[in-house]
Amino acid sequence: MSGALQQLVPTMMPSTARTLLKGVALPVAAALGLGLLMQFVVGPMIGAYPATVALQVGISVMLAVSLNIVNGYTGQFSIGHAGFFAVGAYVGAGISYYAALAGIDPASGQQPSQALSNGAWLVWNDGQSFLFSYGEWRMVLASIVGGCVAAGLGYIVGLPSLRLRGDYLAIVTLGFGEITRVLLTQTKPQIFDRDELAATQAKDWVIPPMGGATGFSDIPAYASLMWVWFFVAVMIFFAYRVKQSSTGRALLSIREDEIAARSMGVNITKYKVRAFVLAAGLAGLAGSLYAHTGQVIRPQEAGFQRSFEVIIFVVLGGMGSISGVVLAAIILSILPEALRDLSEYRLIVYALLLILMMIVRPKGLFGVREIWEFWPFTRGKKSEKPNEKKEVAP
Amino acid sequence: MSEYLLDVRSIGISFGGLKACDGLTVQIPGGGLHGLIGPNGAGKTTAFNLITGVYRTQMGSVTLDGVKVDHLRPHEIAKAGLSRTFQNIRLFSELSVLDNVKLACHCRGRHTLLGTLLRTPRFVAQERAMTARAMQMLEVFSLQHLASEQAKNLPYGDQRRLEICRALATEPKVLLLDEPAAGMNPSEKKALAQSIKLIREQFKLAVLLIEHDMGLVMDICEKITVLDHGCTIAHGTPSEIQSNPKVQEAYLGEPATA
Repeated sequence: MSGALQQLVPTMMPSTARTLLKGVALPVAAALGLGLLMQFVVGPMIGAYPATVALQVGISVMLAVSLNIVNGYTGQFSIGHAGFFAVGAYVGAGISYYAALAGIDPASGQQPSQALSNGAWLVWNDGQSFLFSYGEWRMVLASIVGGCVAAGLGYIVGLPSLRLRGDYLAIVTLGFGEITRVLLTQTKPQIFDRDELAATQAKDWVIPPMGGATGFSDIPAYASLMWVWFFVAVMIFFAYRVKQSSTGRALLSIREDEIAARSMGVNITKYKVRAFVLAAGLAGLAGSLYAHTGQVIRPQEAGFQRSFEVIIFVVLGGMGSISGVVLAAIILSILPEALRDLSEYRLIVYALLLILMMIVRPKGLFGVREIWEFWPFTRGKKSEKPNEKKEVAP
Repeated sequence: MSEYLLDVRSIGISFGGLKACDGLTVQIPGGGLHGLIGPNGAGKTTAFNLITGVYRTQMGSVTLDGVKVDHLRPHEIAKAGLSRTFQNIRLFSELSVLDNVKLACHCRGRHTLLGTLLRTPRFVAQERAMTARAMQMLEVFSLQHLASEQAKNLPYGDQRRLEICRALATEPKVLLLDEPAAGMNPSEKKALAQSIKLIREQFKLAVLLIEHDMGLVMDICEKITVLDHGCTIAHGTPSEIQSNPKVQEAYLGEPATA
């Protein structure tokens, strides 16, 4: 493979310092910055209830950004995204809850829910953990595992997308969401007692005890504003980097014209599956964080209502526009809360707004473009230096 | 090993009872310029789709530079060094002109998800190389000033040229052009003929050309194959083709008989 392109590559290597700084350090710092800002500035400023709304807004943004990879970049119409979300939520919650339950000191006599939530957010009470409590690190680990499990399922769901398109693919993905929901209602009752947990054997975990139809409760609420918005920023970075890369161009080319993409050497099989895996993994991570926000998670999380909510974010934000879907997710998640005073009329207002949006901007808020591409200043600059944009990318 | 760079031997496909392409043989040596002509519906584009793997050939074989490619999938064939343009322009219309060409560099690169997410030095270098290559290619076609424009906003002639430019960016050994002169005026056609010759020399590749404009085909092609109803009816140099009665019949109808 010693083509003209590959000969150019070694001559253009950036310095290691630059890579570490721009590739890893700056994004992590920015994500931490956003997390800390939300936790210590925005959170206290807006009050306790709005802060819980801000958590849910963060989850919505993550879902929108992840679905955008499949529906927006790649143009595959998936309406089972909540399935991945729920799988991530249950896996993450299962690991976190049972690991914590096994570790509770029985002498303290606390209720599990109480005991589990102790030690969240910058508490050194176990005297061993660094910066965050053990539980929070465990949540991060559990969320990554949840994301990986969801990504594995994304691979399986991605496979039919190779043969199906449009409505047919939509039905398959919808089916996946519903199957997930039904399977989750078949889980065994949750175990609340430490001794009972200790008495379980491997065969009891074949069908995991995750509460069935009544839901999975008392999950330690470690997902503070800081963690949720840290991961929101990380996912936005990921989504942006995918979009501004050869992988992203391959995905976009599949949406634009599959036949041309194949003829130009894009393995569309591989890239469709990649899109599904990545989107499912991010949705699973978001699901696990959601489970740790102090909610009871129920099998309905996998249902099509949530899938549709996310599709609305993506369609209204503009298929493929990261800033568009982020903005749409924020607005549409806050809107029902802001319209609470209108009580029963709020759904009507919500629906009217959606209809209005579709009339005024049928391609979504920003179409495929990003918000900054609308600023005349950057547009002019871009046409002068076409490769500038890639260079300044975070 | 065949002496031909692109060796297409008696390929064919039937759609139901219709033999859209039946036993086509085209052999192009390195640096050759071969024309494929025939009336509408003769199966020229079908032949392209067979060679590039969009359809799988039901008989015969396609060999590119000694490698059998007829069982490969389209992206693998592109990687093997066969690139094409389309009769009805198939650009990635929402993407920028630069991204269209960068996408074509895709098959010469290596892409890992981890590299993409973490922006490793290799990834950054490859992206830079792709941009540099794409700009180079655009300059050949003097499209560089339009690099950040969306492809759909380009005038028709530029879109045609961008398609050729994109096809060349995959670093092919053989270029397949499907009616590149369609919709062009005479002076544009003349310029196109010049640039096809130029491309062939500059990029050292062989060209297989489908074209309806006889002037263009006769002018630049060394060998011509004529198709009608899926069958090869003539094969030879431009002058041989012009005097072939079968070809005249296919284009003009049977000669009047008393």
